[in-house]
Formats: sequence, structure tokens, C-alpha cells
Amino acid sequence: MKKLIGIFQANNLFIKIFLVMVISVIAVSIMITYNSIRMSTNLFLDTFSITNSKIMDQITERFNLFTNSIVSASLEVETNGTIKQLLQVEHDTASEKSIYYYHMTNEMKQIFAEVDPNDANMVILSNQQDVFNMNYIKWQVDGELLANHEIIDRIEKSDTDIVYQFEQSEVTNGVPMVIASKALKLRSDEIYGYLFFSLTEPDLRKFYESYTSEGNNVLLITPEGEIISSNQEELIGDSSLELLSYAEGVRGEDLEYRNINVFGQEFVFLSQYIPSMDIYLVNLINQEVVADNVINTSDILLIAIVIVGLAVLVAFLILRKMTVSISQLVRQISDMARYQFNKPLKEAGGYETRKIAKAFNYMLNELQDYVQILMNTQDKQRKAELEALQHQINPHFIYNTLASIKFMIRQEKKETASNTIDSFISLLQNSLSNVDETITIRQELDNLKSYVQINQARYGERIKVNYLISPDCLDLLIPKLVIQPFIENAFFHAFTQKKTGYIQILIANREKNLICEIVDNGDGMIADQLDNKTIKTKEKRQLFSGIGVKNVHERIQLLYGKDYGVEIESKPLQGTKVLIKLPLQS
Amino acid sequence: MRETFTKKFWLLMIALLTTVVLAACSGGDDDSSEGGESDEGESTSGDEGAEITAWAWDPNFNIGALELALEHYDNEDFNMEIIENAQDDIVQKLNTGLSSGTMQGMPNIVLIEDQRAQSFLQSYPDAFYPIGDYFNPDDFAEYKLAPTSLDGKQYGLPFDTGVTGLFYRTDYLEEAGYTHEDLVDITWTKYIEIAKDVKEKTGHAMLSLDPNDLGILRVMMQTTGTWYTDEEGTIQIEGNEPLKMALENYKALMDSGVVKLNSDWSQYLEAFNSGDVATVPAGNWIAASIEAEESQSGLWKVAPTPRLDMEGAANASNQGGSSWYVLNIDGKEAAAEFLGGTFGSNVDFYQDLVTEIGAIGTYKPASEGDAYQFENEFFNNQQVVYEFSQWMEEIPQVDYGMNTYGIEDILSAEIQQYLDGKSIEDVLADTQTQAENQFK
Repeated sequence: MKKLIGIFQANNLFIKIFLVMVISVIAVSIMITYNSIRMSTNLFLDTFSITNSKIMDQITERFNLFTNSIVSASLEVETNGTIKQLLQVEHDTASEKSIYYYHMTNEMKQIFAEVDPNDANMVILSNQQDVFNMNYIKWQVDGELLANHEIIDRIEKSDTDIVYQFEQSEVTNGVPMVIASKALKLRSDEIYGYLFFSLTEPDLRKFYESYTSEGNNVLLITPEGEIISSNQEELIGDSSLELLSYAEGVRGEDLEYRNINVFGQEFVFLSQYIPSMDIYLVNLINQEVVADNVINTSDILLIAIVIVGLAVLVAFLILRKMTVSISQLVRQISDMARYQFNKPLKEAGGYETRKIAKAFNYMLNELQDYVQILMNTQDKQRKAELEALQHQINPHFIYNTLASIKFMIRQEKKETASNTIDSFISLLQNSLSNVDETITIRQELDNLKSYVQINQARYGERIKVNYLISPDCLDLLIPKLVIQPFIENAFFHAFTQKKTGYIQILIANREKNLICEIVDNGDGMIADQLDNKTIKTKEKRQLFSGIGVKNVHERIQLLYGKDYGVEIESKPLQGTKVLIKLPLQS
Repeated sequence: MRETFTKKFWLLMIALLTTVVLAACSGGDDDSSEGGESDEGESTSGDEGAEITAWAWDPNFNIGALELALEHYDNEDFNMEIIENAQDDIVQKLNTGLSSGTMQGMPNIVLIEDQRAQSFLQSYPDAFYPIGDYFNPDDFAEYKLAPTSLDGKQYGLPFDTGVTGLFYRTDYLEEAGYTHEDLVDITWTKYIEIAKDVKEKTGHAMLSLDPNDLGILRVMMQTTGTWYTDEEGTIQIEGNEPLKMALENYKALMDSGVVKLNSDWSQYLEAFNSGDVATVPAGNWIAASIEAEESQSGLWKVAPTPRLDMEGAANASNQGGSSWYVLNIDGKEAAAEFLGGTFGSNVDFYQDLVTEIGAIGTYKPASEGDAYQFENEFFNNQQVVYEFSQWMEEIPQVDYGMNTYGIEDILSAEIQQYLDGKSIEDVLADTQTQAENQFK
């Protein structure tokens, strides 16, 4: 959890920007997708309905053409003298019948040509139950059955000339068909035969089937509500008073579509009444199916998702690249304040970040250069000061030493005077002539011995000096005048109460550092005299050189850094221990 | 370096985005156009080449044979829709379709009667697809090759023989006092006598006739080997003695009241299926329709066709044998392969055809099979197929020419006048004149 929060905080900027972007991209695409689907569906349904109402007109027109052909064919039958005459006369012998059949068939064939293109069949039934059938494949007529069927009663009862009936019974051999029938009447209203035009349901369907498609259904409904034909075969023969009421409701109005709910589904409903056949032509459009067929919602959604996905991906990559580099930059800068000022920033990431890093690094470099110059100047100044000091041998020391030598000569201590002069010469030589800042321990040791010899010559040998030098250290380098000031200090201040004692000088290589210890068993110092491990010296004193105990520590640190320097431990009446820590140099 | 990389990266991103957007747009277009196509596809699926349609008549016989052939055809990709039409309807639709030249709505396979075939082949030679390469014409009875080919090209795949017989109701004939022997090798004159007896004693009509179909005249005429036209195609109605005798017999049948008239094929079938008529003189293919009325099993037998009472007349004739033709439209290869693979070469299929449909093919390699000895229970265990194949060999050969049905149209009108009292000489002379005017 903490890790998660950590990640969140580290990517704070990225997550914020990314979230805003993702949410807005998704919101925009959802709105656009939804709107485009909705608009195109509406537009499509509008145009579809308009187109369909035109199609309805066309279908109606086809039905009208068909009924017209039936009307004109039936007129021709009625006005055909041969048929009229043949049907009225009784034909007893086979010869007569042969002639009767032959001419009836011949006359009918000519008239039949009018309705034949619609796959309709034409049948004439005589009062003697003779059947003249033009296309027995379409309707195999049993004369006796037909003559006694209620179809005939309906024809006789009907006021209208041509009666359209839907039949699917024994008389049609179970085939659903529309039968247009007409009683052939003389002027005296005497019926001399019956004329039938039949159209099987599959043939009737051909009138409109090519206009239908999945979800776009056409039905023919009788004024009794019976569905006599449909491209959805399972509906044929069903009754739907609901549809009929809708159809009747629309009848007479301008053809406009409306939305209804039948068969448990939403439909766009169009209807037209075909007066010639006395049926309603109904067009049911299943909005969902039709719109789904044409407007591929899933495709649109897929495209939207793909675009959103790509946009998010691209945004992710770009944002990531930008924010990660900025975050890294920020981290680097904050780290820098804590630890390393001299480490330049990584110039990576986007353009902006790289510019910032570059400017920052430039500034850092400048700053460092400046600081370096400043430090160098200070160092130089300090060095110059120290050098000046170390090259300067206190004239009092020379004066005093020379005075001591004069006494020795007077006291005819030739040996001692000569030794002291040698030591003095070597001391002066090393101090003045050697301009190197560092010298080997061996040289330093020579200097120390010379100095100690001079002092012992002057003040007597009550203070002994022991040297304990590790042989492997003899050739190592140390700065000049590092040990001497402590020996001088010990000589002149450690033995004011105690008159005798010793000073031990230990030089060894310890833990890769050069350790010099100057230990005396003199008076020691009280805490007041120690200040931050250096000795407080106030008075202007006659020192060997300008370098005092005080600046040794400072000098070492200036030369080698904070890890090195001088530590002083002292206990009153027991002695003082000075520890000088130096790097190994050779 | 780094900057150029970034620039490249951006260019790449822009290019990618553009591609995606364009792809999305064009994808959308594709969808809508596909949708449109599929809609159209649904409405015009009938015109696709894959679906083969076949037109034939007689569900008991020709269509039954086609369905059997489809069962025997081992090709899953092959789809055939068989459409039943009346023969007259097929002839009329073919004439309309072929003469318009559009071939719109025409079938791939169509059955044509041999006697009509030449009029189609000669009138519309390009409309038919020569299928001689899909089977070996030499495997078929020779008399079927002449009507089904033109100019040396084989257009039709010969199907059934039209050999005729006299189907009769044994019960009615027995009631009238006749046995099978009384019906064997008789003349039409004798037939009329028997008919009168049957009518008198049983009250049943002897046969059913359609005044618009003069098939019975052709059956009578061919027993003597004559036709409306001679080998050169010259119309020979006037002075055609067999025709004259046939007409006289026809009138005698009509006048004697033994005929039950019908006005269409279904009524014709109804006449014997209902038991109204005692005999059916027709091509062997009618057996399938007779057998369709299973309740009459064992009541029927077949006798040889009556002959005309003339020198050289045989008791064998031909009626309505037909052959399969492939129209020269899309799908013709598939249709021809189907015919070649079934009717053209499959012996097993022909055995089944004999036993299941009762159809006697003209494929010679199949004529020796056991099925030809098959004793048909429906026909009192008579070896119907075997007998037909015997009579087949006796059929006097004639050249049908191309005007058979044209002449018959004229003749059928004249016959009504003949029945009405016009003299036979005038009838023949008038028919001759009209036919010459029409076909010369």
C-alpha cells in the first residue's frame, strides 16, 4: 500500500494529466459515437420509411395491374359469345362435348394470356360442373367439390362484380390461394357459369417479395383480419385484429408511418388499402433489425474503441515520456541539494526537460567554476601566507642560537659549539633553501634532531627527546614544519614546573594513515588552554618560524581535507599527547 | 541526434493517427456498401449460377426420375430445384423465353418430348448446349438419337422410350366378358367393339380423351409407320390412308359414347384413378400415374397397342418419349455433368428407375439387368417392363419432323368440324391446304 502511494506520488503529474486526458477522450468519443448512431438510425429510418411508402405505392400499383388484368379478362369472358353460347347449351354426346371442350379451351387460352404473366390460373365452371382449367398445376379443380363449395354461395350473395376470397381448404387441395371469382350472368340475371382466377400464395408473394428483407415484412390482411399472404410464412393464415385496427386507422389518411407494438415487438407500420382486392397491404419494419442490418453498430463501436485506445496509448506514451523526465529532473535536483552539487543533471527526456536540465547544468557549472575560483584564491592566499610564515625564521631564534654558540666558544666547549653550528646550518639550510612544501620524514627527522640539539645545547639536557620511527615511514612525505611546532611547544611550556622529562616522537603507518605522536610527560594543560583540540596561544612568542601550533591543524586540513588534522589530549601534571593524522604520501 | 529522433517520432505519430483515422473512415464505407450488396444479394439470389433449375411435367414419372437421379448423383455442391409445369406450359414458356432471346428465367435443364424436339432445336439452335461430350450417344437406342440431335451435334440426353401399351382394368373387362387374350394384337376397330360392350355392360367409359390432345391419333398412325410428314418433311395429310383410318376410328369412338372427355391433364389422370374408364391406351410412362392410385393394385394389366386395320400395321407404337436438354446459360456445365453422371452412364440408377418409377430408359447397357424381369404386383404380376421392351423393338419408325404439333393444331380444329359432320375428305384436304400455307 505504501509502495502504491509511493508510486502514485512519484507519478503524480503523469497520473493527473493522463486521467484528465483519458476521461475527456472517452467522454468525447462516447458522445460522438452515441450521437452518430442515433442520428444515422433516425435518418435511416426516416428515409427507409419514405422509400418504403414509395415501394408500397409500387406494390399497390402491381396489385392494381393484376386486378385490372383480371377485370379485363373477366370482361372478355363475359362478352365472349362462343363461351356464353357453349356454356348455356347442354352437350350430350361425346362429339358435342369434344367440340364444346375444344372451343372452350381455345377461347379461354386467348383470354388467359392476359393473366398468365402473373402466374395466375383461370378456371371456368359450367352449371354442369364441367371444369375448364388453364393451368392445372396451379390449381387442380374438382368440379363437383367447387360447385358445392361456399365460394359459390359467396359469389352469388355478393353485390360486387368480382369477389376476392382467400381459400386454403379441400377445394384448393390445401394450397393457400387468393381466388377472384365472378358469376357469369345473362341480362336476365341467370347464371350460366362461374369464372375463377386463382393465384397461389407463393405467386402472390412474388408481387412484393423482392421489396422485403429481414426485418422489413409485408403482409396482406383481409378486412376480417386474416393474414392471407406474407413473406413471413409462419404468419399466413393467422388472424390479427390488432394489425387490422391499425390498418383501418391509417386508411384514408395520408400515407404516413407510425410506430406500433405488435407480436411483442416495436415496428414501423405502413399500410395501404387496395380497394380492387379489398385487402390491406401492410408493411412492418422492425426498426432494430433493419437499422442493425444497415448501421453496423458494433463496427462503429469497435472503431470508436480502437480510436480511443490508440489516442490513450499515444497520450500515454507521450505524457509518460514528458512527465517521467520532468519527475526525474525534479528528483535529481532535490537529491542534489542534499548531497552532490558537482554532479550534473542527466539531459534526457523531452525537449523541455532537456532544455531545463541544460540550463540548470550550465548554471551549476558556472556556479562551480565560480566557487572553485573563489576557493582557489582563498587557498592561494592562505598558502602564500603560510609560505611566507614558514620561510621566515624568527630572527630571535637566530640571535639566541648565535648567542648560545658564542657562550659555548667562550666556555671553550668547542665540541658542542661545533655540533650546534652544524645543526644550525642544517636547520637553516632545510628551512630556507628547501622550497618544496613537503619533505621526507627522514629530512624532517634531521631537522627535528638539529633543532633538539640546538635547544639542548642552549638549555641543557634536562629534557630528553626519544625518536620512535617506523622504518617503513622514513621515505614518506609530510608537510614541512608539522611536528616541529609541537616539540617547540613542549620544550618551552611543558616543563615549567617539572624541570626534567622526556618528549617522545612516534611516527608509524597505521590503518593507511601516517600517524605522528608527540608525547611529553610535562605539566600538561588545563582545559582552558585547550580549544577545539588546539592550543590557545595568545602571546607573541619567539618561535622558530612563523608557523605556530595553532596553524598546523589548519594547514593540514587545507592540504588534505577534513579527514586529517591534529588532536591534542592533555591531563594536568601528567603530560600532553599530540596526535597528527596525515595521508600516506611517497 | 536526439532532436531528429523526436521529430521522427512525432512524424510517425501523425502518420499513424492519419492512417488510423483514414482506415476507420474507409472501413465504415466498406460496411455500408457491403450492407447494400447483401440486401441486393438476397433479392436476386435466384439468379446465382450455383442453383440449377429443371423443368419437367408429370410428377409421378419424369419428376420422380429426376429426383431419383438427384439421389444417385454424388456431388454435394450440386443443388437442383425441380419445377413442375404442365407440358404445354413448358412449351409455351420456352417459346416465349427463347424467341425473346433474353433467356431470363429459363431453366438449366428442360424435358422436351421427342416429337417436339426438332422444332426447338431448329428454331433456336444457339439456345441449347451440345452435351454429346458428357456421355456416349452410342450407348442409347438409335431411334432416340435422330430427334435429339441436329447437324451432327447431340443436344438431348435420351430419356424414356415412348413405347405404348393398352392398360386396362381386368375387373371391368372381365365383367364385359373379355380376357387378356381377347385384347392381345387387336385392331382399333375391335377395340371400339369391345368398348361398346364394356360401356353397355359396366357403364364405364372405355377411355378418356382431351379434344385438344390428338396423341391417340398419332399412336394409331404410327402403328403403320406413317406420319403427318414424310422423311423429307413434306406434309402428307391429304390421301394419308392411315391418318384417314385413324380419324374414322376417332370419330367412331366419339360417336359410340365410350369416351369420357377431359379438358386437362389432371382430369385425364382423374378419369382412370377414379375408376371411371376401363382402359388407358398410352405410352408406358402413364404406368407411374396409374400406380399412384394404390387402391387399384392388382386390377390393371397391359396389352399390346391396338393396330390400325391395315396391311403392315404393328401392334406397337410410340407416344411422348422425351429427352433432357441443357440450355445454353450459366450453369450449363454443372447441369450437363449431372445428366451425364446419371441418365448418361449410371446403370444402377437405371435399375432403380425401372423398379421404383417404372420408367424404361433407352440406355442400352442397362436393358439387360434383372429389373427388366421384375414382376409388377400392381399389374397382376405381369412382367410389364419386359413386355414393353419387347414391343419397343416392333415400333414402326417414323421421322417426326419439326411440324408435328403445328399440324396438329390445325388438325384438331378441323376434327371438331369433322365430328360436327364435315366429310373426312374435306377435313384432310383443308388441313393439308392450311398446313402448307403455314409451313411453307
